[in-house]
Amino acid sequence: MTDIALIVNGENKTVSVPPETTLLKMLRENLNYTGSKLGCDVGDCGACTVLVDGLAVNACLILAAQAEGKEVLTIEGLSTLEKYHPIQKAFEDVAALQCGFCGPGMIMATKALIDQDQDLTKQEIKDALSGNLCRCTGYTKIIEGVVDAYQEITGKKIPATKPRVA
Amino acid sequence: MKPFDFIQPTTIDAAILALAEHNPNVRILNGGTDYLVELKHAAQSPGVVVDVSRLQDLRGIEIIDAGLRIGAGTTHTEIMADPLVKEYVPAMIDAAHTVGAVQTRNLGTLGGNLVTCVPSMDSGPTLLALDAKVIILGSKGTRQSSLTDFFIGPRRTSLEPDELLLEIIIPKENLGKPASFIKFGLRKGQALALVNAASALWVEGNKFKDVRIALGAVAPVVMRATKAEALLEGRVISEDLVQEAAKIAVGEAKPIDDFRASKEYRNDLIEVGTRRTLQAALTASNIKN
Repeated sequence: MTDIALIVNGENKTVSVPPETTLLKMLRENLNYTGSKLGCDVGDCGACTVLVDGLAVNACLILAAQAEGKEVLTIEGLSTLEKYHPIQKAFEDVAALQCGFCGPGMIMATKALIDQDQDLTKQEIKDALSGNLCRCTGYTKIIEGVVDAYQEITGKKIPATKPRVA
Repeated sequence: MKPFDFIQPTTIDAAILALAEHNPNVRILNGGTDYLVELKHAAQSPGVVVDVSRLQDLRGIEIIDAGLRIGAGTTHTEIMADPLVKEYVPAMIDAAHTVGAVQTRNLGTLGGNLVTCVPSMDSGPTLLALDAKVIILGSKGTRQSSLTDFFIGPRRTSLEPDELLLEIIIPKENLGKPASFIKFGLRKGQALALVNAASALWVEGNKFKDVRIALGAVAPVVMRATKAEALLEGRVISEDLVQEAAKIAVGEAKPIDDFRASKEYRNDLIEVGTRRTLQAALTASNIKN
């Protein structure tokens, strides 16, 4: 067993797990943060996306022991049921999610992107979310939600995209 | 995952000692974007896993006497944001950008991409086209290797179980060399390359000089198209010559048929990729002059 001390959603935590435990498994099974989802378990789907020291990572591809001393943010750290984060509000307003399984990952990837505080284009948003799969295939609404959240949070505008020429 | 013993050394020397002590039942873990997937499917425990992801000395990008030094533990995201890379080897930014997706690039490292040594690795072609070298540390000391000697076969490098890839060096004479990288995948994010390619060249007067063409996912390891390079070397630059070189490159590669793409399609991509990267390197050269 390895003792791991880290910060999860602003709280100090110490957990004792076998070294082969992924951060995702520890979050879900030892700390009961079940918002981050286990999808493909090989880093393809992004449903397990959490922020480690501000960077979006697949929690299934990092050992819990590698997160020792780091600051982890999961979907549970973003808001309460009473008060949504602006990203969640934007997703709700455009009905971005259907089944919702990809939602926590999508929202955390969006959070990492907006936190970088850069001027974004729609193409850059799509690029930043290319590691998150939605099997309800609702990408159009999700991207709309991200655009709205970005504009709401930063006060910036996404440049209008050129119409596609046939 | 099968249980394993886990060591997190705090210095490179301690990592080498741990590797020597547990050789050969020992593996190195850094970003883990590939190795943890392998571990999840492995029937047997690797024995001991040495996690080098905390070694700050393995990270970082700087100019040294020999050229541009990139620590093997530098992530693809760090490469994409680095001002020295942008100034001297911008094609590496394009290559890093095609690795996996944001989540993969935040964890995955340049050294890891090379050590994993899959034929479709996205870091390989650009580095090969720029004659990059690798510096390796083991219990017997440091050694240097060309990438050509380092890559042995699919998922096989010359790295011994008790050795650690320390850094990648782009030689001084190739800093600022016009170069270009292209990747063809089935989608933009998370896709393995069907074919990837990189070209680097100098323009002297109106002639090609020191041309390098490297191709990925078309042979057991990332390879140079040396016949196509030789065709161009010292000749007057022309569009026809570029087209001809691209056709020759197709003949040098040995792409496979698989569920991602047919051999015929890959051959077409090799031609297009070689042509476009040569053209883009020429364009980069014009902009510079």
